[in-house]
Amino acid sequence: MKKIAVCYKWVLNDGDIRVNDKTRDLDFEKSKPQINEYDRNGLAVGVQLKEASGAELIGITCGVDTEPSAKDALSRGPDMVYYLNDPALAQADSAASSKVLAGMVRSLGDVDVVLCSECSSDDFAQQVGPRLGALLGYPVISYVSAVKLEGDALVMDRKLEEGTESVKVKAPVVVVVSPDVCEAPIPSVKQILGAKKKPANAMDLAGAGLGPDAVKPMVTVQSVKAPLTSRKAVNLLGDGESVADAVAKLVKQLSTDGLL
Amino acid sequence: MADYDAIVVGAGLSGSTAAYCMAKAGLSVLVLERGDAAGVKNVTGGRLYGHSLEKIIPGFASEAPVERKIVRERVTMMTEDSCFTADFHSASRFADPACASYSVLRAEFDAWLAGKAEEAGCDIVCPAHADELLEENGKITGVKAGDDELTAEVVLLADGVNSLLGQKAGLKKELSPHHVAVGAKEVIELPKGVINDRFGLNDGEGAANLFAGFASGGMVGGGFLYTNKESLCLGLVITVADMAKSSIRLPDLLEKFRDHPAVKPLVAGGKLVEYSAHLVPEGGLAMLPALSADNLLLLGDAAGFCMNLGYTVRGMDLAIASGQLAAETVVEAKGKGDFSNAALSGYKSKLEQSFVLKDMQTHKHAPDFIEHTPRMFKEYPALAADVFTQLFRVDGTPSKLMLKKALPLISKVGFLNLIKDGLKGTRAL
Ligand SMILES: Cc1cc2nc3c(=O)[nH]c(=O)nc-3n(C[C@H](O)[C@H](O)[C@H](O)COP(=O)(O)OP(=O)(O)OC[C@H]3O[C@@H](n4cnc5c(N)ncnc54)[C@H](O)[C@@H]3O)c2cc1C
Repeated sequence: MKKIAVCYKWVLNDGDIRVNDKTRDLDFEKSKPQINEYDRNGLAVGVQLKEASGAELIGITCGVDTEPSAKDALSRGPDMVYYLNDPALAQADSAASSKVLAGMVRSLGDVDVVLCSECSSDDFAQQVGPRLGALLGYPVISYVSAVKLEGDALVMDRKLEEGTESVKVKAPVVVVVSPDVCEAPIPSVKQILGAKKKPANAMDLAGAGLGPDAVKPMVTVQSVKAPLTSRKAVNLLGDGESVADAVAKLVKQLSTDGLL
Repeated sequence: MADYDAIVVGAGLSGSTAAYCMAKAGLSVLVLERGDAAGVKNVTGGRLYGHSLEKIIPGFASEAPVERKIVRERVTMMTEDSCFTADFHSASRFADPACASYSVLRAEFDAWLAGKAEEAGCDIVCPAHADELLEENGKITGVKAGDDELTAEVVLLADGVNSLLGQKAGLKKELSPHHVAVGAKEVIELPKGVINDRFGLNDGEGAANLFAGFASGGMVGGGFLYTNKESLCLGLVITVADMAKSSIRLPDLLEKFRDHPAVKPLVAGGKLVEYSAHLVPEGGLAMLPALSADNLLLLGDAAGFCMNLGYTVRGMDLAIASGQLAAETVVEAKGKGDFSNAALSGYKSKLEQSFVLKDMQTHKHAPDFIEHTPRMFKEYPALAADVFTQLFRVDGTPSKLMLKKALPLISKVGFLNLIKDGLKGTRAL
């Protein structure tokens, strides 16, 4: 195993998104970009595999303004980062992102393992891993909750509804990890300082062997609105009513609503 | 060889200023900040007196994210159902940058200053919590953060009022409830035009309003209100000694203050977007710690450089000046290759020659006066309210001369008390 690519997305911190009460529009003004939380587990697995195999670990990302992501990504363990910026990626869907990432992986040459997480906190489409497999012609192992290196193969646990499946695959392979695959440690001071010394390389579409069509989305988003939550506001414990009666009423209400 | 010339703990105003000045002088500097970014953990009422930063970065206000330039000063005595306010407005008298003050929000302002330090060549790492000081043969050699050991010739503790590292190093004692106050504040969003109209301001101009009396529930402390571009900072600062005895919780007290009939219309229609609480050092010179030791300096709030005079709170301009003076001291020490306490003791003399310790010396009786004159927070606001009620209440009953109206009210508080407090107050504040 020589080369491992780990994909990460530079997303806005969803904790700081605010909702306009009147229009239900989202206000991103206070949100700062960060590495998608799920992808931090992918990076951590990458570090484990790198340590076990001695392979080179390369972080890759694409978006509109992803250069600032490199320092954060590099502090999490990769030897280098490639980032690809294109204004058209502002409207990217999973298809466009996958095409660009696949192009980047190909241009790196002979990547043995491509690591992804299940989803990003912004679009939550859960498609990039499987699409990458299809575009690269690699097998895809999804829902991975544990990874071990055995010779030149990977032995992985897949957490499924009915139980855990264990699979063994030889490279090349796309591995889609679940959040519980391992802890994603917070980078230490020395790791953060060390990140400054590692290379962060810009790549463009041509460099990834792609034409401008690659970044055209198949899906266009019409609008994004925050959901309205409405409460029934039924007061079950009125003046002078006993708690026992209120509980009985609550149980009845919940079963009529089909919640029990 | 140490990793750095200097390590600064804390990217507040004192830490970032020191880092900026040292890096400008060519030193290698590492700043550790425990927050996710500089400023996110920091709380202030809101007014920065610009003079000390103006000396370091002339014209800073044109590039820094300041909110509004304060041109309207209000001091209010408040009872449950009244407010007596002195209101001073002058755009021209506060126009000179050497004396101008600005409302600021720390998340933006601290991030800007830390950015300046980084531009000047510092390494800034956040989040990074400095857990321990490293020691070798009784000499401080750096800082431990998590499992990482980082070494430097000198460590600057700019870690705020509750400087645990300063305590561990034996420079300062644990905080006493009489030397520290607790502050809580809300940021309330309102459109710019609404703020301009409610406070009688033009774009870019701001108001500062301090409140004594009901705001603090009669306890030693007060309320504040500052205008930002598109929000208000409304908050309270109350001594911990009083707060500990009180049955009302600080957030509830703040809510009562916000609901006061004179405050409510000022914040009406606003959206509460942030609540924060923080300690304020208030002991003045009485709690001054040792400011340096071998390979160690104490800056800003960590050193207790803060003054609460009742009509104004100053900590940020002191923090900035102490950062600059600490940096000067370190640069000189580097020149001599000597970071012993003797070599660093110039820091204290520099502070003594600057406004930092001079002003704290001038106002050294203020903390004591404020703490021991509870009448300021109860009787005097009530007196002001009664006098003004008598003056302006016309109900057809035969009128009396002003003096006759006021005398019985004043005698309730006691003439001697009034004179005594007046004299003591003008001497202390
Ligand atoms: C409610 C309130 C109202 C105030 N109003 C005003 C006002 O109107 N005007 C004014 O001038 N002053 C005011 N002050 C005082 C002023 O805010 C402080 O004096 C000033 O913030 C001090 O700056 P500093 O840099 O010394 O400390 P801080 O701003 O407290 O910065 C300390 C920094 O150190 C970091 N830190 C702490 N420990 C560690 C560690 N172990 N490792 C890494 N990082 C660490 C913290 O996260 C923080 O960023 C007010 C204070 C309060 C609480």
